[in-house]
Amino acid sequence: MKEAFLLLASGDAETWATVLRSLRFSFLSTLFALLPGIPAGVALGSREFRGRRSLIAVVNALMALPTVVIGLFVYSLISRSGPLGFMSLMYEPGGVIFGQAFLAFPIVVSTTQAGLSKLDPRFRETIVTLGAGPWRRLASTLFEARAALVAAVVTTFGRVTGEVGVSMMLGGNIRGTTRTMTTTIALDYNKGEFDRAVSLGLVLLVIALVVNLALHALASHED
Amino acid sequence: MKTENLWSCRDLELGYPARRGGPGRVPGLGRPRPASAAPAFLVEAFDILEGECLALVGPNGSGKTTLLKALNGLLAPRAGSLLFRGEPATGSAPLRRRSVYLHQSPYILAGSVSYNVLYGARARGLEADEAHGRACAALALLGLGDFGHRRSRALSGGEAQRVALARALASGADILLLDEPTASADSASADLVLAALRARRDAGDTIVFSTHDPDLAEALATRIIRFRDGRIQGE
Repeated sequence: MKEAFLLLASGDAETWATVLRSLRFSFLSTLFALLPGIPAGVALGSREFRGRRSLIAVVNALMALPTVVIGLFVYSLISRSGPLGFMSLMYEPGGVIFGQAFLAFPIVVSTTQAGLSKLDPRFRETIVTLGAGPWRRLASTLFEARAALVAAVVTTFGRVTGEVGVSMMLGGNIRGTTRTMTTTIALDYNKGEFDRAVSLGLVLLVIALVVNLALHALASHED
Repeated sequence: MKTENLWSCRDLELGYPARRGGPGRVPGLGRPRPASAAPAFLVEAFDILEGECLALVGPNGSGKTTLLKALNGLLAPRAGSLLFRGEPATGSAPLRRRSVYLHQSPYILAGSVSYNVLYGARARGLEADEAHGRACAALALLGLGDFGHRRSRALSGGEAQRVALARALASGADILLLDEPTASADSASADLVLAALRARRDAGDTIVFSTHDPDLAEALATRIIRFRDGRIQGE
């Protein structure tokens, strides 16, 4: 454990490069999941339409899929013979980010939908009766549910930072290119080199703590 | 008083549908969620004139709130017709522009009191200066002149009801549909609300409000309709 702390404190270049790469992948994949995920979550959480419940069930089922299954599915899309093979994403940072975004999408949709579903029914009646048009209603809804949206971002970021299956399968754990904190931990564990694994584990622990503290702070603020 | 007919109801049945094929979509709200198969309100013929101040009086569950929402186009009829100036109330753009509905327990939007009171005026396209002027006047009228910067979620029930009424008054609507407008008010607040509504009535606005309070109905209304079990009992 002492060596793990020393590795972090000494500013070990490879360790910190891995941390920064992981955070960059997580940031970008969260962003790419948010772009379609929030509109989809808003649609599911604020509209009544035929098939809505079935769609929510599908989204919840996707959330429960193991990351290796998602990795396998995305592999079939981006491998050389897949429909997106021409993009040459396999074993590239783009492949990891694409796969993580795929993993994150149902989390964003579900968290957003759940947050909007909790809005008081009087809220929509109030903005409608006050004469708000569609765009103002959308902006007001996002503002009113902003805590749920921030929770969606924070939860998604924490989830993709901690996943290992997608990064390993689509990135190939290539040193200096696609190696993330979790894939490094898996590799070092297999090699019996625990110092770096533990140091990266500590970083992940800190990220998990920050994510949870942020969520608690949001919940307290809402109360 | 102007005597033009605003609303015209014929063989009207209102309620929350429990079966498919019920009322259509309400713009901005979508299809209402099922709640009860029982009709909440049934009436053969009923008109409301422009400039009227109409009190709906009756016990809980008699259909007052349901009718007010339908008059505002927030609830589509299950059967029969509910017309606003000759066109269906649900989806009527003139009705949306001219009227505003106030819940008995109003929803106050997140943000400041100013944000709330300006919301309707800005949503209806009023210029910033005019909206600001209307908001200040409405707040002052209801004894909330120094409330502008308060956080909306820190208001008491009575204050929230006055803020919501100020929001309705500032919205530029000349048709006010108010569900128990003094329900959460203490006597001083109730006097302010009554004075504000009298001023709007005397200015020619159309006001339809529900109340349990016969004194409020007598003090404000130009016509009183009594309800029981979702039916009109008399005027």
